[in-house]
Amino acid sequence: MTTKTLLSTASLALLLGSTAASAQAPISLGHLADYSGPTSDVGTPFGQGVADTYAWINKSGGINGAKVNVDTVDYGYQVPRAIAQYKKWSGADKVAAILGWGTADTEALTGFLAQDKIPDISASYAAALSDPTGAGGKAKPAPYNFFYGPSYSDAVRGMLTWAAEDWKAKGKPGKPKFVHMGANHPYPNAPKAAGEAIAAELGFELLPPIVFALTPGDYSAQCLTLKSSGANYAYLGNTAGSNISVLNACKAAGVDVQFLGNVWGMDENAAKAAGAAADGVVFPLRTAVAWGGSAPGMTTFMEISKMSDAAGTAYRPVHYVAGVCTALYMKEAVEWAAKNGGATGENVKKGFYQKKDWVPAGGEGICNPSTFTEKDHRGTLKVDLYRMKVAGATDAPLGDLVKNGGIKMEKVKTIDLPRKPEWLGW
Amino acid sequence: MAGQTLIPAGDFRTSYAADTTVFPTTTSRNAMIAGIVLVCFAPHVVNEYILSLLIQIGIFGIAALGLNIVVGFTGQISIGHAAFFGFGAFTSAYLSNRFGIPVFFCIPLAGVVTAAVGLVFGLPAARLKGLYLAIATLAAQYILLDFFARAEWFTGGSVPASAEPFSIFGYMLRGDKQYFYVVLAYVIVCYLLVTNLIRSRDGRALVAVRDHYLSAEIMGINLTKYRTLSFGLAAFFAGVGGALYAHYNQVVSNEGFGIDRSIIFLAMIIIGGLGSIMGTLMGTAFMVLLPESMEWLSVALRDSPIDQFLGLKNNIAFLREMAIGVIIIVFLVFEPDGLAHRWRQIKAYWKLYPFSH
Repeated sequence: MTTKTLLSTASLALLLGSTAASAQAPISLGHLADYSGPTSDVGTPFGQGVADTYAWINKSGGINGAKVNVDTVDYGYQVPRAIAQYKKWSGADKVAAILGWGTADTEALTGFLAQDKIPDISASYAAALSDPTGAGGKAKPAPYNFFYGPSYSDAVRGMLTWAAEDWKAKGKPGKPKFVHMGANHPYPNAPKAAGEAIAAELGFELLPPIVFALTPGDYSAQCLTLKSSGANYAYLGNTAGSNISVLNACKAAGVDVQFLGNVWGMDENAAKAAGAAADGVVFPLRTAVAWGGSAPGMTTFMEISKMSDAAGTAYRPVHYVAGVCTALYMKEAVEWAAKNGGATGENVKKGFYQKKDWVPAGGEGICNPSTFTEKDHRGTLKVDLYRMKVAGATDAPLGDLVKNGGIKMEKVKTIDLPRKPEWLGW
Repeated sequence: MAGQTLIPAGDFRTSYAADTTVFPTTTSRNAMIAGIVLVCFAPHVVNEYILSLLIQIGIFGIAALGLNIVVGFTGQISIGHAAFFGFGAFTSAYLSNRFGIPVFFCIPLAGVVTAAVGLVFGLPAARLKGLYLAIATLAAQYILLDFFARAEWFTGGSVPASAEPFSIFGYMLRGDKQYFYVVLAYVIVCYLLVTNLIRSRDGRALVAVRDHYLSAEIMGINLTKYRTLSFGLAAFFAGVGGALYAHYNQVVSNEGFGIDRSIIFLAMIIIGGLGSIMGTLMGTAFMVLLPESMEWLSVALRDSPIDQFLGLKNNIAFLREMAIGVIIIVFLVFEPDGLAHRWRQIKAYWKLYPFSH
């Protein structure tokens, strides 16, 4: 009896001691970034946004007084490297949560994340990652996966809803033709089924998909196919780098088609690189405003930007802004966990469920309100559609181009999709 | 094995069996056994990171051993080895997922299935030599890669396939520490198999084809059979290695089996020593550890005074890739016969120390 009492007292003391120590112990987060692979064009600004946010958080006192150690790893968009890195993060260098990147690697990790109870807020918005229980029946359960923004599938649903109205408004005869374009890779393929299903539902004629690689190249052949097929609306599933090649080649080939960009498919840098070829591309914006827009949170974002640009003059593309929002959501989830039993993976996951229409502090007016529940990880179903407007030469620095209106993002429409249970997970 | 051996003066062989012994001296046999016993303690001594590197060396070492049969022993060329490695990985995952075969049996089965595929792709070797054969094997690389990307029933298409963790008699092995012993067992078995193969009639036939195919044919060796066979054997070990890789990662994506990986396999055996069994393992260790050691260097360099002075920042990652290439070139210039040759020289030096000249 005495031994038992002694033991329990000792273990209690240990427990208390350890919690007291862990309150100040640094919190480790893993950050998978693509700075050198095929998606590095958009991976670099997003990764920079994440890195700057945590540098700023540490500078302003950390999370709940604890410093955050962010282990940023450039995995070059290669699944095996992501898995090797994950083994380190789930083993010796245990992390509380991960800020992930691509679709292929995040989907490959989903099972491990659930098993090891490590939440992952990814930059992949594949709908398969939004079904925590597998109730939708379309995807395997992904209980520890989160992402900020509409899923790729919901973005396509939104864009095609707009396209159907656009077709009617223009008063064109017959059925509009829709084509899915992208690499044969999990990321461009993720919304393919959803896009083709809603296109058929909305009365589009479906054309066979056109494949082009994730890396920039010569895609004249694809543009000639596009031209001869007579497509009216084409979805670009890749990231900006290869899309620029397609836009340029298609302009040269004289293709008359309305391009619909994936959320990673168009940004200010891409518009500058593609010039007039990017004019008119419609794409979803994940944040309420772009860089320099009028929002209460913009001053905070400017401060965060100064972490890697002391002068504070750099223009940050949309992916940087989205990266900061993503990092802020994770920060608040970790913060809640730290206050409610310690920053463990399980608690961080619960941290995501605490607020309805959640806007993280500092992101007011920028990060779109998101709600995560235990049964539905679709944070938002709002799709803000913008049109890229490019006027004249794009040789000047990006900041000047945006200031002078050489590159402009013009609001087209906001589509509020219904939260249909049958759309969960695909 | 070419080169001078370390047989003491007066030690004469009186039988063929004695002439083809695996271990020329008792000390070398004891050293090997002691080495294996030492490696068995590795999971309890080294950290998980080092352990994962050791596992990689083992897995890639088995696949590279297969390539050495084709290139080093039979004198053919293959630049599609990674595709067979990938085929083994997908086959093992498919067999265990689709048919519920225990992983324990899936790994050798994957080797057998891959060997059959290798035999098919080895057929051009019966007619083609040199650069022509190289291009023919390149076709194997692309055909298989495209197959991986499109055969959704087999690989899951572009979505990575999942692979069951290794289990034995219903006991599931989780974690690197346990899996290390699986890989170690396979390394020992595979290396013993190939060592003995080379000592056999078939092994000598392979070497004869390499050394002078015309003479070999005059002596009655069926060139078509042995050239094709060498591809089948190579694919078998690639398949076993790939299967081990699949169940280690528990995920198989069709990335990582491209031509770059094939070239790395070639680099492993060239650096280790063509036609050397132990050299294969040394070359594999070299190629696995080189990028990692460059990574350690680049981490040390980051934010150091040199970095700040030169303003390298993100360019360190690119410098690292370039340094890897430069080191391989420098190595090949100064060590054209591979690590196995250097190892023999070191042994010879210490054997005669201090009277070497």
